[in-house]
This record gives sequence, C-alpha cells and structure tokens, in this order.
Amino acid sequence: MYSRPKISFTIYAVALLVLLSLPIYSESNFIVALMPDGLSGSALLHVGILIFMFAYLGSSWNILGGFAGQLSLGHAAFFGIGAYTSSLLYVHFGLTPWVGMIAGAGLAAIVGYGLGFVSYKYGLKGPFFALVTIAFAEILRLLFLYFDFTGGPLGLLIPLTSEYSFWEYQFREKEPYYYIALGLMIFGIVISAIVSTSKFGYYLRAIRESEDAAEAVGIHSMRYKMHAVALSAAMTALGGTFYAQYTQYIVPDDVIKIALSIEIILFAVIGGSGLVMGPIIGTFLLVPVGEMSRVIFGGGGSGASLVALINENMPGGEKLAKYIDYLSSGGGGGLAILLYGVILIVVCLILPRGILPALNKLGAKMGQRDE
Amino acid sequence: MNNILLKATGVTKRFGGLVAVDQADITVERGRITGLIGPNGAGKTTFFNLISGFMNPDEGDIIYKGQRINGMRPSNICKLGMTRTFQIVKPFPELSVLENVMIGAFNNTANTARARQKARDVLELVDYSEFASISAGALPVAGRKRVEVAKALATEPELLLLDEVLAGLTPTEMWGMIEVLGRVRDAGISIVIVEHVMAVIMSLCDHIVVINNGKNIGSGSPQEISDNPAVLEAYLGADFTANEVMG
Repeated sequence: MYSRPKISFTIYAVALLVLLSLPIYSESNFIVALMPDGLSGSALLHVGILIFMFAYLGSSWNILGGFAGQLSLGHAAFFGIGAYTSSLLYVHFGLTPWVGMIAGAGLAAIVGYGLGFVSYKYGLKGPFFALVTIAFAEILRLLFLYFDFTGGPLGLLIPLTSEYSFWEYQFREKEPYYYIALGLMIFGIVISAIVSTSKFGYYLRAIRESEDAAEAVGIHSMRYKMHAVALSAAMTALGGTFYAQYTQYIVPDDVIKIALSIEIILFAVIGGSGLVMGPIIGTFLLVPVGEMSRVIFGGGGSGASLVALINENMPGGEKLAKYIDYLSSGGGGGLAILLYGVILIVVCLILPRGILPALNKLGAKMGQRDE
Repeated sequence: MNNILLKATGVTKRFGGLVAVDQADITVERGRITGLIGPNGAGKTTFFNLISGFMNPDEGDIIYKGQRINGMRPSNICKLGMTRTFQIVKPFPELSVLENVMIGAFNNTANTARARQKARDVLELVDYSEFASISAGALPVAGRKRVEVAKALATEPELLLLDEVLAGLTPTEMWGMIEVLGRVRDAGISIVIVEHVMAVIMSLCDHIVVINNGKNIGSGSPQEISDNPAVLEAYLGADFTANEVMG
C-alpha cells in the first residue's frame, strides 16, 4: 500500500487552481514581463496546451506500459488513428469531431484488441512486443502516406468553418483549446486513478510482476493484457483528435512518427511509470525544460564557430568567458537538444524509478521529521 | 467416488527423448493432505506443472471434480478451485504483502474493499499480518513462502498444490509453516504437497505417493511407505532395510 502524504493532495489542488485561472492573467504585464523576448502570454498558453496533451498521452500509455508493464513503442499509431478518423469523418461527412473522436477511440480500441491478440497469442513479450508495436506504427504511417483518401503525404487540412463554434471543435482563441486539453488531462488522471484502485489495475500490476504467478491465482493474463492495450489505445486516440483540431492540419509524418511515441513514453517513464501521477509530473517538469532550453540556447546562431573558438590561442579565463558568451548568444543550433538529452540522462541515472517515487520518498522523510 | 477430488491416470510428459513423467497416477481425496515425494529429478515438479495446467501432458487424463482438465489454462483451473504455489516462489515483488494476497482474493470478488478484507483474514490465518505493508520483494525466503501460500489461499481453493513450501527454511520457520498447513487442512481445504523433508511428510500427510524416474513406485499411508522396500531403495540405495532407516 502506498501511504500517500496528505500534503500532496493540497499541492495538486493548488496547482489545478493555478492552471484553471492561468488564461485570465496570461496577458497581464507581469506574465509578459517574465516571458522571454518577443513571446506573448499566448505562447504560455500554447506551452500549457502541449503539457496537458502530453500529460494525457503519458497517462494513456501508462495504463499499458506502466501498470501492465507492456512496453509499447508505437502509441503514435493510436494517436494517428484518432486524429485521422475524426478528421476524415468531418471532412467527408461533416460529422462533428466530438462524435468523430468517439468513433476514433472505438476504432483504436478494436485495432488495439487485434494487435494485442496477435502479439500475445504468439507469446510476444518485453522487447518483442515493443518491436511489434514499432512495426505496426511504421506500417500504418506508410499506409496513410500511400492512400489517397487520407490525403497521402500532403496530409489532411481541416476546413475552417465561417464561424468558430464549440460544436465544430474549432476556436479562434487559444483559451478553449487550453481548457479542453486541461479537461483531457484530468480525464486521464481520473481513469488512471480508477484503474489503479480497481481489480483491473491490481491484475495488470500482477501480470507486470510475474505472468506465471498471475495465471496461478486465476488471472487470464492474455485477456487482461488485451483489455489494457484497447483502453490505452482508445484514450490515446482521443488525444489524436484534440491534436488534429488544435493544429487543423495533420500529416502522417507528424502524427504517426516514432519520435512522438518516444516522447510520450519519455515523460511517463521519467515521471514514474506505473503511478497515477507519474506521467503528469514528468510532463510538467520536462516540457518546460525542453521549451526553455530551446528559447535560451536556440536560434540560428550568431555566426561564431565553436571549432574556431576551441582552436583559438588565448588565456583560459578569457576563453571561458567566450564560451559562455557563445552559449548565451544562441551559438549552438543543436545545443538545445544536446542539453535536453544530457538532462534526461542525468535524471535517468540519479532517479531510475522516476521523479515521483523520489519526491514521495522525500515527502515521507520530511513528514517523519515533522512529527 | 464423490470423495475423490482429483484423479490423474497414466499421465506422461516427454521432453524430446527424455520421459520426465511416465504413466504417473495420483488420487487425491477430499479433506486430506496428500504427499508427493521422490528423489531429486524424479519428475515431481513436472507432474505438478501438468496437473496445474502450466504444461500439457502427452498422454493420460487429469480429472478434477469429474471434469477433464488436460490442456486448460492455469487461470481457468484456478477458477475451478485448484490453486498451486511455485517451488521457486513468485511473489509480485514491487507490491506489498497485502496487495500480493489481495490479487489472489480478487479471484472471487471484483470489489477492492472486500478483496482487502479477505487478504487481511488470510494473512491472519497464516500468521503474517504484521508484515502486510512490506513490499514482497524485500522479504527473506521464509516470508516469501508464507506470502506464496497466502496468495494461493486467498483464491479460496478447494485443493491447494504446494510445491516445496518448506525447502530452505530453518527448523523454527519450518514448524511455523507446518502449523499453518494444519490450520489450512482444518479449514476444510485439501492439500497436495511436494516435499523433500521426509520427517515433515511423514508427520503431516495422510496419504503419500512416491515417484522415481517419472514412475509411481508406491503409495499408501506414511507407515506403508516407510515399510516399502522400493521406496527405500530409491532414496537410499538397495542395501538398506526399513529397520535400519526407521530404527
């Protein structure tokens, strides 16, 4: 049993209030002054939307990858199924994406059952299941590129309606998207919490720990794993519809790419997979770090060459100052990604179980000291 | 006939050229502790795997409560009321002792609170309540074996198959476990136990089946077994007599 300190509940409640009210003061002078040069409060909302969406996708993945321990590296496939199903239904039949997203989730669940059945029928486990999911997503991406009805490599443009409306799932402002994304994330947390405390969640964890032992105490492991794939896939598909409506344009190389699958997992694993709040915490910490490193070290570069700088003959102190100058002036184009990678590696080395378990431990320690 | 819970006849399992279990039989009566013994490599665990559905027999019939269960999934066999433990214990290491037992308890309920209560009751029965919140991976061998039994008990079996739950325990731990097994029998649960420790088998079991090289070489009461020359030969070599061993 996880004895969760009550303090965390308060923190989550305060955080939710802040997030709910953020759009109200996102254009205030204070926020704009805090933002890096040239960025408005709407950029902050955009980052918020990104965070919510990835937190939700991480939660969706966590049901299969975290609770059930089935490493899926192809969740972009379900994301793409959601995005394309609702968009195609809208483009061709004018069906509102609110209904389309249910269709997308249903289709993703059916595909998930199929993928699970084929994989588990033949006893694919661990890395082999992961390979199947990658292959599945890649095949799907290529099929979507090939066929005409999906728009092929040109993608699918979602036609703008003359007036933006809730029914059409289209909005001029960022705020509605912000609240929808926030709602999705909360939906993901609630589903995860229900799964975590239910028989289903206990059975998934049992399967993760030992499938033989699970079978011995009456758990039909294959059936439960298939349920996990389907639920995880359906949830991910809802995220796909949101993405399609937010960007109004989808293309296979964007919505079914491996990099997306990896990103979903990254946040969940770094935060703490198998825990309800793990993917949420991971996303909230990592997305801002990624965005910040891009803002600080991004840009096209000042023209200075790092190689020339290294070869230059000058006193050490002066050289160091030049290095810092080089970095802070946006010298390295790929430096943002490099720095981000280094941060990820360091986090993985120091906290192999994820950030949330470490925070919980810390919280428990501080709680003891208080008493 | 009604008294017979499990009856396996002519069960055979081959691994390539090796016949691990060769026409083995076992009959388990209700309310009894049945011992399955044999020297190392005799095929006891394989026989267990066949009965519990983890392996498919090549020949023979396994009848549980009048139903043929050959080739059934282990989880379905468990649903019928027969649950096994593993010689190399398989706890769910990341989960607490209570959660481990709860997972067993979910076999008969979908309600988390009810499963938790059932798990508490079982831990009480096996004398392990004080460790309920410890994660199972952190337990010593004796504790893991206790959890293994508790998990299986929580599924509310009619027949419990125990694979060497006493191996590797100190004498104190062993007698603690034997006491638990006595309580399990008193609760009306039939037991099949695979064991190496002869003293335990002799004192605990009502009925014993001996196999060697995958074949039955004797069955009967503990007294009959200890007087059976074939059994003594298998364990100790041909020159021993019953008197030398038991005297």
